[in-house]
Amino acid sequence: MTAGIVWQRRRAAAVGVWREFAAKKGGLAGLGVLAVIVVLALLAPLITDQAGLDVVHAPGKPLRPPSGEFPLGTDIDGRSVLLLTLWGARISLLVGFSATVLSVCIGTIAGIAAAHFGGWVSGVLLRFTDFFLVLPSLVLAIALSSVLPQGVATIILAIGVTSWPTTARLVRAQTLTIESCPYIERSKALGGGHLHIVGKHVLPGVLPLVLANTTLVVGNSIIAESTLSFLGLGDPAVVSWGSMLQRALTSGAVTGGAWWYLLPPGLAIVVVVLCFTLVGRALETVVNPRLKGERG
Amino acid sequence: MSLLELKDLGVTYRVGDEEVPAVRGVDLRLEPGETLGIAGESGSGKSTVAMSVLRLLPKSARVSGEILLDGEDVMTMRWGRLRAVRWAEASVVFQGAMHVLNPVHRIGAQIAEPIRLHAAEPPGETEVKARVTELLEQVDLPVSRAGAYPHELSGGQKQRVMIAMALACRPRLIIADEPTTALDVIVQAQVLDLMSRLVAERHLGLIMISHDLSVLAATCARIAVMYQGEVVERGPGGEIMGSPRHSHTRALAAAFPTVGDPASRFAPATSEPLPPEPERASGAEVLLAAEDLRVTFRDRKGVRIDAVAGVNLEVRRGEIVALVGQSGSGKTTLARTLLALQKPTSGSVRYAGAPVPTSGAGLTAYRRQVQLVLQDPASALNPRHTVYEAVAEGPRIHRLPGDEREIVKAALEAAELRPAERFLSRLPHELSGGQRQRVVIAGALALRPGVLVADEPVASLDASVRGEILGLLLRLRRELGLAGLVITHDLGLAWNIADRVAVMYRGRLVEVGTVEEVLLDPEHEYTKSLLAALPAGVGAK
Amino acid sequence: MSEALAEFGADLTDPDERRGGTGTARFLLGKLGGAVGSLFFVVVLGFLLFRMIPGDPVATMTREKPFDPGQMAQLRERFGVDKPLFRQFLDYLGGIVRGDLGSSYAYNRPVADLIAERFWPTVFLVGTATVLAIVLGLWLGVRAAWRRDSAFDRMHTGISLTLWSVPQFWLGLLLLIATQGLFPSGGMRSPDTPPGFFPEVLDVAHHLVLPCVTLLAVLYAQYMLVMRSSLLGEMNAEYLTTARAKGLRDDLVRRRHAVPNALLPTVTLIFLQFGLVVSGTVTVEAVFSWPGLGYLTYQALRVPDLPLLQGVFVVLAGSVIVMNLIAEVLYRVLDPRVRAR
Repeated sequence: MTAGIVWQRRRAAAVGVWREFAAKKGGLAGLGVLAVIVVLALLAPLITDQAGLDVVHAPGKPLRPPSGEFPLGTDIDGRSVLLLTLWGARISLLVGFSATVLSVCIGTIAGIAAAHFGGWVSGVLLRFTDFFLVLPSLVLAIALSSVLPQGVATIILAIGVTSWPTTARLVRAQTLTIESCPYIERSKALGGGHLHIVGKHVLPGVLPLVLANTTLVVGNSIIAESTLSFLGLGDPAVVSWGSMLQRALTSGAVTGGAWWYLLPPGLAIVVVVLCFTLVGRALETVVNPRLKGERG
Repeated sequence: MSLLELKDLGVTYRVGDEEVPAVRGVDLRLEPGETLGIAGESGSGKSTVAMSVLRLLPKSARVSGEILLDGEDVMTMRWGRLRAVRWAEASVVFQGAMHVLNPVHRIGAQIAEPIRLHAAEPPGETEVKARVTELLEQVDLPVSRAGAYPHELSGGQKQRVMIAMALACRPRLIIADEPTTALDVIVQAQVLDLMSRLVAERHLGLIMISHDLSVLAATCARIAVMYQGEVVERGPGGEIMGSPRHSHTRALAAAFPTVGDPASRFAPATSEPLPPEPERASGAEVLLAAEDLRVTFRDRKGVRIDAVAGVNLEVRRGEIVALVGQSGSGKTTLARTLLALQKPTSGSVRYAGAPVPTSGAGLTAYRRQVQLVLQDPASALNPRHTVYEAVAEGPRIHRLPGDEREIVKAALEAAELRPAERFLSRLPHELSGGQRQRVVIAGALALRPGVLVADEPVASLDASVRGEILGLLLRLRRELGLAGLVITHDLGLAWNIADRVAVMYRGRLVEVGTVEEVLLDPEHEYTKSLLAALPAGVGAK
Repeated sequence: MSEALAEFGADLTDPDERRGGTGTARFLLGKLGGAVGSLFFVVVLGFLLFRMIPGDPVATMTREKPFDPGQMAQLRERFGVDKPLFRQFLDYLGGIVRGDLGSSYAYNRPVADLIAERFWPTVFLVGTATVLAIVLGLWLGVRAAWRRDSAFDRMHTGISLTLWSVPQFWLGLLLLIATQGLFPSGGMRSPDTPPGFFPEVLDVAHHLVLPCVTLLAVLYAQYMLVMRSSLLGEMNAEYLTTARAKGLRDDLVRRRHAVPNALLPTVTLIFLQFGLVVSGTVTVEAVFSWPGLGYLTYQALRVPDLPLLQGVFVVLAGSVIVMNLIAEVLYRVLDPRVRAR
C-alpha cells in the first residue's frame, strides 16, 4: 500500500511530464525523427549488405553522381554514399551516446560533490571544474586522442573526459539551489546523514535537469566526434559521418564539386544534432520551472 | 471632485483558457488629502486594485468598470496621456524595494529619471541635482547616498529611496503596496512615521495596501477590508480594529492581539476549544539548555561577527519560551546551534542534563528528541514527496519500531489533519499554507520529541490561519507536555501562547522572564523600543 | 519613542547588505592568483599529456613509419626523453620560462618561432569574426526577445538552432563548393598580388571572407540564443514595472533598463566561453588552410609532431585563460551587481 502511493505518484508525475513535453511541437518532432534514425541505424545489418562497405570490392565506379543504382552517388572508392551514411550513423550515435554517458556521470558526481560537501573538498573541485570549463575542450580532446592509440574507444574517452564541466556546473548550481531549501534543513534536523540527503532529496531533484542536459550533450558529442574524425584522429577502419567528410576533403571531392559526397553525412549530423537540441530544450522547459514561459 | 474614484471595478485574469476573477464590483472613493487603507490576505485582490489605478496590470488582465483619476477615466486614456499621468499625478511605492530598483543604476539617477521625464521643459543638471538632494533630505537619507547602488543600502533605506522617488514629481496621490512588509518592526515604525508625516505635510492622498490591519490603523483614517475580490467591510480605522463586524475582519484583527489585553492571553484565535491548563509542578525538569553559548562567524573581509555572544537559556518540560528579536539579532543562529545544525564556537548545549554529542550515533539519537518547525512550510517540504513520505522521513531515518503507516497516521491526527487517510497521498502544492505547516509539525511529532523548536512558525501564513497554528502549538503543550522554543519577531505571538520570553539583541539575551514581566513591565531599553514600535492601538496599555 | 527608535534602528542593516564596493584589490589579487595557478596547471597538463600517456612519445610519433632502433635512440636523445621524468619536467619548465617550447620534429625549427609566425593570422581571423558575431548576435537576440513569439523571433531562433547544430568544418566545405571559384579556396595571400598597400589589403580581405563567414555563422547563432534568453529572464524583473509606472515609453524601458542589464552578463558569458571560439578556429583554419595556429595544429596532427602539438596546446589554453581573466575583471568594473557578491 505504501509502495502503491509512491508508485502511483511517480506514474502520475511521468504522465504529467510527457503531456507537457508532447505539447511542445519542436521537441515532439525531434523525438520522432530521432526514433526513426536510431531504428534505421540498429537495423542496418538486417536491411543492407555489409559487403558493400568493402573498399576492395566496391560495387560502383568512384565519385559518380546520384543514379538509379546509387541514389546518393558513390565515394572515392566507388562505394554507395547512402550505404556509408546509414552505417556511419551507427558509429556516430554510438560515440555520441557513450561519450555522453561518461561525461554526464563524471559531471553529475563532480557537481553534487562540489556543492554538497563544503570546505576544501568543494573548493578544490570547484577550481578543477572551472579550469576544465575554461580550457578549449576540443583542443584538449585533440591532444588526448593524438597521444592515445587510435580507435573508437579513444574518441569516446577524449570527448567524455573533456566535456563534463558544463554538466558539473549545472548540477552544482542545481544542488546548491536544492540544498538551500529549508526542507534540507528539516531533513538534517530529523537526523538524516549525507547519504540520506543526497539520495532522497538532492539526486531526485537534480536528475530531471541532468536528463534534459544529457540530450544536449549527445548533440555536442556527435559534433565533436565528427570534428575529431575529420581531423584524422578517428579509427580509419570504421565508417562514421566525420570520417566520410574527412575522406571527402582529402580525396579532392570538394574541389571536384562532388556535393553528393559531402551533403549526406553533413546533413545527417545537422538533423540528428538539431533533433537532440530540440528535445533537450523542450525537456528543459518542462523540468526546470525557472525556464517556464521563457523559451519558445 | 474626488481625487480617485473606482466605480464597479472588476478585474479578471486569463489563466490558460479560463477567466479567473480577481476583483469584483469594488467601489472606492478618495478625496484630496485623504488616507485609505486596503486590507486583505494574499489573493484577496488588494494589489490588483492598486495596480489597476495606473493600468500596470499584466496583459492577461481584463478590467471592467471605471477608474476616475481627477475625474478622468484611466481606462480610456491614450498612451501618451497615460504616460504623462503616471508618476506626475499618482505614483507607487512598491512592495519589496529589493527588486523594484534597477540594480545597475545609482539611486540618484533613478530618483532623477521621472523628474527629467515629466518636466515641461528639459531641466538643467543643477536643478535636477538640487531636487534629488531635497528629496533625499525629506526621507532622512544622507545626500551622499545618491551615488550608491541599491545593493549597498539596507532594506529600510531602499524603502526610503522608493518613497523619495514616489514624491519626485509632486503627485497628489501615492499608492503604497505593502510598503513595510519585509522590514523589521522598528524600521517599519520609522518608515510608517515618515510616510504619515509626508502625507500630512504635503496634503497628499494615500492608498496603502497591507495584510496587517494594525499597520493600516496606524497610518490611515479609513480602512476597506477585501476578501475574495470584494470589499466586505469599510469604515474608520479605529472602528475596524476595535469592533469588526465581518467574520473575516475579525480574523484579521485577532491576528494582531493587543499586548496586555487579558482576553487574548493564552487565547489565540482558533476555532477549536483549548484544553484546560494541566496541573504542573513548579520547577519542572529542564529539557534543553544553552550554557554560555557562543557562535562566531567571519565575513568575507575577515571581520569577526559574534552571532551568538554568550547565551544562557533553559527550556523546561511543558513550557513554551518565545525568543524575540529583530533580524540579525542572532536568534536563528541560536536555534540552529541548539539543534546541532551549527557548531558552537564555545559553550555547550545540554539535553536533559547531558551534553549533546557533536557527531555520530549520539547526535542522531539527540535529533529524535528536539524537532524543528520552519517559517515557510511551502519550502520546508520537498515538493516531490507526498505527505506520507514527508511524515515518514523521520521514523525511517531513526528506524522506529512499529507499523510505519500507523505512526504516520497518528502523527497526522495529532497535528489535527483529520481524517489522516485523506492527506496521505497529497503533494505539498495541493495543500493550503496552514495544512502544510501541520504536515511539518506532524513530521516532527512522528518522532515523539521532547522539544519543538519553531522558527517564525506563522510569519508566512495568512492571518486567519495564524491563530489555528498557534492554537495547535498550545494544545500540544497542554495535552502532550511538549516543550516549545518559538522564535519570532512578533510580540503578539508571545502574548498569545508563550509562558516565558527571552529578548535577544546583538547576540545577547538582554531580558528573560515571564511574559507578563517582560512585556508589561520591560526593564531593558531595547525591549521598551520594541514595544514602542508596535503600531498604535496594539502597544501596551 | 523616536529617540529609542533611532538608537536601535540605526544598526538594523543586514550585515550582508552593508558590504560595500571595497575589496577590489583583494578581488584582483585573487583572480590574478587563480589565473597564474591555471596557467601553471596548463603547463603541467601539457607536459603530462604528451609525455606520460602512454609511455614513449617517440614511439607515438613514429607509429606506422619505418624507423630502425638506432634512429629511435637518436630521436629520444634529441627530445630529451631518455632522461628521468622529473629532470625532463624541469628542463621543460625552464624552457617555457625562457620562451623555448622545444623543437618541432617535422619542421626542424623551434616551436616558439612557428607559433609566433602563426599567432597573428589567427588573432586577425578570430577577432574579425567575434566582433561581427557579437554585434549581429546581440542585435538579433534583443529584437527576438523583445518581440517574443513573433515571426521574427521564430525565424531567427530556428535559424540559430540549426546553425548551432552544424559542424563548422562542414559549413566551410559547403561554402567552398557553393561559391566555387568566387573566393580563393585557401591561404591568406595570393603569390601573384601586385605589391602595394591597397592590392595587398584587398587580397587578404578576399581570402578572409569564407573562413570569417564560416566562423561567424556558428558564433552569432550561439550569441543570439544567449542574449535572447538573458533578456527574456530580465523582462520579468520588477524594476521594469517601476520604470513603466514612472511613465517611460516602452522603447525607453527597453533601452535604458532591460537591455543594459541583460547585456553585461551576456557579454561576459561570451568571453568566458572563448574556448569555444578557439576550438572552432582549429577546424575552420584546417578547411581553408588559413596560416594560423589551427592550421598549424592540423599540420602537426598529420605527422604527428608532438613537440609542436604540445606548444600549440599550451599557447591556446593559456590565451583562453588570459581572455577569461580580462573578462572577469571587466565584468566587475562594469557591473555593480557583481561587486555586491
